[in-house]
Amino acid sequence: MEFPAVLFPSYFGAGPPREEGGPSPVAGWGEHGQVLEGGPGRRQVQPAFVPLRGATGERWEAGGAAAVPVLLPSAGCWIPSPAPQDILYHSGPGRKLRAGKSGATLDFAKQMGHFFVDHPEDAFGSLGRLLHKNFYLGNAKLKRPARNSTIRMTALVEDINRLEARRGCPRQHLASRLRWFSHLCRDWLFEVPLGLLADCLHEELMQQWSDLLFDDSLTGGALAWLPLPDRGTRTPVGRLVHPGGQAMNHLYFQDVVLEELPHTRGSPAEFELSGRIRQVAAARVDGQDFVGVRSDYHCGVWRVPAKRGAVPTVLQVIHTDVPASCLTVSPHLPGELSVCTQSGTVYLWNVETGLQQLRHDPQTMFFRDHSPWRWSDFTAHPRVLTCADRTGLQCLDARAPKKCHFDLFKVGEEAGCQQGERVVLPMYLGRAHPSQYLVTTQFSVYVLDERLPLVPVLKWAHMMKAPPLFANVMPGKPGRSHKVLLGASHTQELLLLQYRGGSQSACQLAGTPQKLHDMAGCLQHLPTQLPRRHHLLQQRLSAPAAGLAATLQEDGPHKSMLVFQLSEAGDVFCQRLTHKAAQPPAPPSRDEATTAPGSSPLFEAPASSPHALGSEGEEEEEQTFYLPNLEVIIHDEEEDMGTPAPLEEAELLQEPCASPQPSPAVPSPAAALRYRRWLRALFRTWKEPPRHTWLPSLSQRRLFTRRDLQGTAGPSSLQRQVRQRLRQTMQERGLIQRWEPLAIQPPPLPQTLELAEGLDPLSARLTAAWAGDWEQWWEDRTSFSVAQRQRALRERRRRQKRAKGRRSLSASFTSSLTYQSELSELSDVGPSLRSPGRPLVLSQEGSPRAGSPPVHSLPPSPAPDEALLSSQSLRCRGIPKERRKTLRDYLSVWAEGPPEPPEPLGSQASQLCIPSSQSQLCIPSSQSQLSSASQPRRKRPRMGF
Amino acid sequence: MDSFLEEDEEAPVVVVRGKRRRSPASQAVLQPPLPLPFLPPQPGKGGALVSSNEHKLNFKKSKETCLSYIQDALLQKQWKRAAEFLTCYVESLEKDYSREHIGPSEMIWRIGTEILWHHSQSSMKEFNCFMEQMKTLGVKRYLKVCLEHVFHLLCNGQIDEAYQNLSLAESWRFGEQTAIQDKEMKLIQAYRGLLDYCSWSKQKKILLEHGEDGFAELTIEQEMHGYFRKAAVNLKEIIKIPGVWDVFVKCYVDLLEFYGDHNEARQVLNEYAYNSKFPANPNAHVYLYHFLKRQGESKKSLISALKILHDIVPSHELMIDFNTMLQKSKKRKKHQLGLEVIFAALDYAGWKENAKAWSCLARQVKQIVISETHLDWIKHEWNSRKDWWPAFHFSHYLAKRNWQGNKSLSYEKALVAGILLGKDCKYFKYVLHQGCKAQLKRFWMLKKFVTRHNPVYLRISGRPDSSVQP
Repeated sequence: MEFPAVLFPSYFGAGPPREEGGPSPVAGWGEHGQVLEGGPGRRQVQPAFVPLRGATGERWEAGGAAAVPVLLPSAGCWIPSPAPQDILYHSGPGRKLRAGKSGATLDFAKQMGHFFVDHPEDAFGSLGRLLHKNFYLGNAKLKRPARNSTIRMTALVEDINRLEARRGCPRQHLASRLRWFSHLCRDWLFEVPLGLLADCLHEELMQQWSDLLFDDSLTGGALAWLPLPDRGTRTPVGRLVHPGGQAMNHLYFQDVVLEELPHTRGSPAEFELSGRIRQVAAARVDGQDFVGVRSDYHCGVWRVPAKRGAVPTVLQVIHTDVPASCLTVSPHLPGELSVCTQSGTVYLWNVETGLQQLRHDPQTMFFRDHSPWRWSDFTAHPRVLTCADRTGLQCLDARAPKKCHFDLFKVGEEAGCQQGERVVLPMYLGRAHPSQYLVTTQFSVYVLDERLPLVPVLKWAHMMKAPPLFANVMPGKPGRSHKVLLGASHTQELLLLQYRGGSQSACQLAGTPQKLHDMAGCLQHLPTQLPRRHHLLQQRLSAPAAGLAATLQEDGPHKSMLVFQLSEAGDVFCQRLTHKAAQPPAPPSRDEATTAPGSSPLFEAPASSPHALGSEGEEEEEQTFYLPNLEVIIHDEEEDMGTPAPLEEAELLQEPCASPQPSPAVPSPAAALRYRRWLRALFRTWKEPPRHTWLPSLSQRRLFTRRDLQGTAGPSSLQRQVRQRLRQTMQERGLIQRWEPLAIQPPPLPQTLELAEGLDPLSARLTAAWAGDWEQWWEDRTSFSVAQRQRALRERRRRQKRAKGRRSLSASFTSSLTYQSELSELSDVGPSLRSPGRPLVLSQEGSPRAGSPPVHSLPPSPAPDEALLSSQSLRCRGIPKERRKTLRDYLSVWAEGPPEPPEPLGSQASQLCIPSSQSQLCIPSSQSQLSSASQPRRKRPRMGF
Repeated sequence: MDSFLEEDEEAPVVVVRGKRRRSPASQAVLQPPLPLPFLPPQPGKGGALVSSNEHKLNFKKSKETCLSYIQDALLQKQWKRAAEFLTCYVESLEKDYSREHIGPSEMIWRIGTEILWHHSQSSMKEFNCFMEQMKTLGVKRYLKVCLEHVFHLLCNGQIDEAYQNLSLAESWRFGEQTAIQDKEMKLIQAYRGLLDYCSWSKQKKILLEHGEDGFAELTIEQEMHGYFRKAAVNLKEIIKIPGVWDVFVKCYVDLLEFYGDHNEARQVLNEYAYNSKFPANPNAHVYLYHFLKRQGESKKSLISALKILHDIVPSHELMIDFNTMLQKSKKRKKHQLGLEVIFAALDYAGWKENAKAWSCLARQVKQIVISETHLDWIKHEWNSRKDWWPAFHFSHYLAKRNWQGNKSLSYEKALVAGILLGKDCKYFKYVLHQGCKAQLKRFWMLKKFVTRHNPVYLRISGRPDSSVQP
């Protein structure tokens, strides 16, 4: 083991870092650092100098346009980790919108509810026993003496049960009895003291927040690659060890064949663990792979013989009281690992002899730092371990840990650190050089030689946006450079560095650092998605990275590198880099023209900028309105997925023939196929996102069966026709400007659709607008023919009379308009309303009305809502009597929900307002909706005077 | 500033257009279209509506965006694209309000340098020109830029230009120097000393080659002496400051030794090796050891020099020499130290398959076993290793691999394993089996030897055994 005869010059000082600074975006460029006389030209007349940085390195080029998924997405929805919006309190509707969007809502009330239900004994145990006598659960009435000290709970329980059915109803707070009860006993009923609970909650929120800023529990990464020796076969095989499952608590050992695109072979060996997997570390000793797995409170070690088809076996599992922060596997001795916990304890863990505590120190080593993060790794000496915290690294001899130790790295002047610099990830580079060590901080990356402690033999400012939490080293053969990959979590950055030296010659950084594709970059190569899906896909692909693994593959003269990246969602993406032999005059068009996509800052913007969030909100809103129509389309698309695929493939296959040099900016056909497969599997696992309760919507499922509401079974022939036409137009990439009457059967389109779906004013309007005849619709709507109104009125009066007996008085106060006033007001307002809403373009564009009057006129039958509501129709639909009232209640509540049509101007409204004391039932027909919506506005002037 | 702009405009544009230059009309057309949407419109051109604060903000924002594009291009080795963006970024110099750690001028220097290093069509002349401009951009950074310029010249073999630049930088004065500038100045002087030393050694070579020319010899000697004085003054300065100065120390000692100033040389080396303010640099001890060896110093002082090296770096490659030196010694204490040294070296992963080290150990162990006098030494060494050496060195897997890779290594290891772990040790058994199968005579001998001395194993491992020989 040689030591370089001459090292690069450097100053050495002791003490705290002197250099002020912060992250600088370009600090790593344009510096040679130092030079050293040496190199091959000893005998020449001129001495030759080599630089510390800037020497030529190997050339590696990205093989594809973007990273490609290796595994199919696992079943089960991924729960994204909380975003800042989930923790920060925002008042107003913005918060609500956001809360519905992200998967991980920190719904405290709900969580408490779960706790109460799951652990009633802990929550209410002793008080329940105390109050046992005072709570009466029977149905019988209470007698007088008992009444003084006992309350009847049956009604309360009923209320609670009813509450469940009314979930989402804006009036649920009307359950006054419940409110009264909770108001009375929320302070004392459950036994977890509120103060304590608040403290715990606060602590948890602080923890979540600090994890958002920087989550060090992921340090080291949860992905490992175990190469298998290839004996005679052409294609190398390896084993990928990765976590998966909804909570990332399943450990998989998956065989992967490294062909052009790596693909899995066989089904993986799976282990279910009792916690989220934070780190997977592996090392090969004596032809066996030892895989250490760390979750917060458990660490386990598996042994996998490096043979094909070998079954991984669990060797041992340990439990820690404090979360473990580090687990590394010894590359020297089988079954030996080192474990650190956040309490500052370092253990040497031998599977045979058990745990040996090497150090226990809650304080940091060189100066005070609040972080409880600790790390430990092995060194060239199997009995000497390093022990690291944020302030530096020390080496401990396991045989005498108290006495024998020395400092390997200090954040300070010794290594030329900046102020505020902290150790992020130390790693033993034993595979590259037995005595080398890698230390990354948020600003720089250092290579240390344990034979020359404290002085880094290599230092370089890595300029990454987030601190590198993952690293991987691929040793180069003698004379070639070692490759180091650095990976960040939240930004998914991947950086490839090369260095050489350490034994014969001093360490040098070779070549320039290179950025590799990240997972989010493949979004633009995926087929276009619907906005909602696009958003979900984007969220999934930009999930923080959780691990990194890489392997070098040598196939004769062709050398390539495969880099695997794991995301928190459990996706594993892979990219291949190919080694290019040195060709001094590289064709300039090659490296210049190819823009590796996805890495450009332009594409990052939509994911993070607050503006984008806002627009997503709008998009969401739109989506909910269109949803009934959209769903049909999505469904078709999914069903038809099998059919268009071959066509696309054929196209893609032709592409390379057309242009002899396929630009790497486009994924290869195989990669495109992979993307599609992955997408298909992904969408299969995605169920329709749950409707959130913040919108005042009621589940109809409890009220009616589907058949009740649907007049005719299955889509009508017209619907089918329309769909077909839509699909055809989409294939032709055309545009439907209006439904041409020729293509549609004589029965008017809107009417049929309305009947099928149950018309609400919005969809009627949209249908009309879609057909290009919105103006006509508006006119029809505002100047409703008197005859129709009369009929509607008559019908309503009849029902009113029937209902009068049953209605409670309070309900009658909701509306105080006579029908007469409503009628006159509408006929007055009509023409004036038309002008502001009337689109100019339409009037210039000829008259769509004239072209197809029969299609667009509204049906002369009573408004479908009414038809639906009339007791006759309800009866004939088989809705039982007691449900009819519920339905009416429901619809009357719901009538307030939809957005209001344009309101009349205030001045007009005030003249028009003729209040009347006659009570009237609020019926959700289109007219009364309009009136009830504009009613509060009209009332205001009266109250003012 | 103006000149910089001109220059910068020139360098990348020449580069971008490649061979087809000098046709202004086609220039705009020939500029490759930027692969990304262009930057947001430059503030200022937006009109007078923008308030000054907003203007500043916009400017800052577009500056940052531009920088991120450059960064992106650099990390993807798209030098041409980066150069184009850099020409836009130059505008950021115009209003440099920043009080950041690294200002725009430094960024331009760093990025520009990086681009010019790698750009397929850049030339040394352009690089020099760019550097000259950069030197004028910041007073605080002058020395640093000079140093970097010199480094680049040196790496490209332009020693004379580098020397000129160093001299120029050395004579630069600007107000009071900061601590960092002071350090940089010292480095500049030291590198100048190094180049003087290079010239000196060149002259020395000439002198030694044509030794007999009387007249020429005199002038050359004079010149040499001039170089010596210049080099010695500068080198002497820097090696006083704590740091890693292997190059400079080596040169300085070489100079001193040539002129017979051995005391000074020894003092320098001692200071470099033993001053506690200096980092624990193994090379310092190696230099001292080689110096002492050259001086023909006594074994004792050589051993003490190596002993200290052994204490700080037990895995140093000189430990083999140290071990043989100790073995040759007549004192028992030294023998014991030798055993300790070789055991300690073999603890390290880097020595695992070092046949030389294993043969050293095997030889010494064999000697001890035959003489049966100092088995307690082995026992002492083995005690702290017996729980992990078997798995680390003597596993069945390693036996197979060593046998396939290096037969003599496995022979030596098998000998050690046989003595330390007895004849039932897996490693020993496997190697012996293979050796006997291959009908190699020395393995028969090995078997005999180990079987005869098997009780030693029992004594070393500290097992109670009645049949221990007296």
